[in-house]
Amino acid sequence: MATWDTYINVDFKDMPAEQERVAIIRDLTPNKYKYRSTYAQVKISKDATKYPEQLWIRLGRGQLVPTPCSMEIVELKSVIPAGL
Amino acid sequence: MAYKYYKDNRSFIEACEKTGDAIVVNEEVDWDLEMGAIVRRTCEKKGPAVFFKNIKDYPGFDCVGAPIATYRRLAIALGMDPNSTVPEVSAEYLKRTSDESKALPPKVITNAPCQEVVWTGDDANILNLPSPMVHDGDGGRYIGTWQFVVAKDLDTPFVNWGMYRQMAFDEKTMVGPVLPFSDMGKMWHNKFQPKGIPMPFAVVVNPDPLSAIASCAPAGIAEAEFTSLLMGEPVEVTKCVTCDLLVPAHAEIIIEGVLVPGVTIDEAPFGEYTGYRTSPREPRTVYHVKAITMRKNPIMAMSNMGIPTDEGQLLRSFSLGLEMDKMLRAQGIPITGVYMLPESTHHLVVVGVKPAYANIATQIGQLCFGSKLGPWFHMLVVVDDKTDIYDKDELIHALSTKCHPVNGIRVEKFGVGTPLNPFATPAERRLGAAGKVVFDCTFPLDWSASDVPIKVSFNNVYPKEIQDKVLAKWKTYGFKE
Repeated sequence: MATWDTYINVDFKDMPAEQERVAIIRDLTPNKYKYRSTYAQVKISKDATKYPEQLWIRLGRGQLVPTPCSMEIVELKSVIPAGL
Repeated sequence: MAYKYYKDNRSFIEACEKTGDAIVVNEEVDWDLEMGAIVRRTCEKKGPAVFFKNIKDYPGFDCVGAPIATYRRLAIALGMDPNSTVPEVSAEYLKRTSDESKALPPKVITNAPCQEVVWTGDDANILNLPSPMVHDGDGGRYIGTWQFVVAKDLDTPFVNWGMYRQMAFDEKTMVGPVLPFSDMGKMWHNKFQPKGIPMPFAVVVNPDPLSAIASCAPAGIAEAEFTSLLMGEPVEVTKCVTCDLLVPAHAEIIIEGVLVPGVTIDEAPFGEYTGYRTSPREPRTVYHVKAITMRKNPIMAMSNMGIPTDEGQLLRSFSLGLEMDKMLRAQGIPITGVYMLPESTHHLVVVGVKPAYANIATQIGQLCFGSKLGPWFHMLVVVDDKTDIYDKDELIHALSTKCHPVNGIRVEKFGVGTPLNPFATPAERRLGAAGKVVFDCTFPLDWSASDVPIKVSFNNVYPKEIQDKVLAKWKTYGFKE
């Protein structure tokens, strides 16, 4: 299990959960690549035990939600076109 | 003739160490928040710059924090005595930069120090640079806090150097706001982006101090030429390894690549120069990295934005205020000077003026807010020519006694602003809109002489011979100072 975080621009109570969506997630593994971001198709649950990955939520101005969620990464995505 | 200056930031920091304006930290420090916390605290204590020599995970790299966060270090950067006063430093800047016809094009050199080490292809990985996690809660690690971006216009020879922040997204991607009213914003949003053309860029990390000051200055000429006015000779530049852009040859690290059209990525939040995390996390401009070049044993740099005073506030206040000074004098306004308070996070500017005709304060407001400097501040205090614009006590006294709470305050509801204004409504932040206000602290000209209040001060209500006598005998009376 890895630890990640993501930002939401709504209040935590309004965060869409239990449905697949695309999000930017940050890898919080403590090494020199910590905070590397990626786009991913994910499933997020407010139940911290439902999915294998631990996911912390931060609000729009960086406020940390005190309890973690869980997440399953369905697919990693890239938005940068090839050949630049 | 060249002025005394420092060709690179390492010699500048060395000079700061000698005067006690920089300290060296040999203890291992973590790039993840610890370096940021140290730099934030020294900014809040108005302490020295910090030269980190041992960064966790990044052997071979050093980092300097808060390079020019005080007027003392600004004076050193200009080759002046660190004890110089703010008016003296301001006068030196105006002396060097007021005649733009003396500006010189940059001098191109080869074998530049900034290309001693070259990373291309997969090696050009920005996560292998010790970018700090500056504040807990920031949207990412920020490579770009004490750097500037070099970009060339699509269809004119104009080249811009401007400080636009950048967040590391992944190995090859940085993201940051490029506001549409900025010089680079006009190139990108009006020309390259609509045509789908990638725009070459070069990020200059940890430049020499005068190039950095020039990149913050909203001058009327290209920043590379403006730098020559500060140096008294051309700035040395070299050609990038992946494009024709020219970058300062003695900078520590150069990141080359292209801005990507048709793609945006969420950036922010970030602890900003206003002292708040204000601007929303939202889709912003994407930088794709192609090459990284650097000096041997390169030195990263960090400016830690937050509550006053950091270099973003100090340098921007300094150059915005003095460029406003030049602009108002060029328009024939009888000003005594302009001072933008760094403590206001360059939101409040004081203009001293001889109240020569009615509504001169309003005219100053229209000129300043209507210029390209206007989006960056929103409060303008106009005082008379008897008020010391650098003295905060005098300013507060003038504002609270001479500004009529109704007639003296001129409000403009529909000004241009930035998403970073903490007071702005969420809608205004999204639009880049802001209100503006002028505080007129001059007495109206139509009051009769007998109606004008007389300022009661030592200098104003005693005859000169009494003042001279008291001053001459001051210590005799028993006072120490």
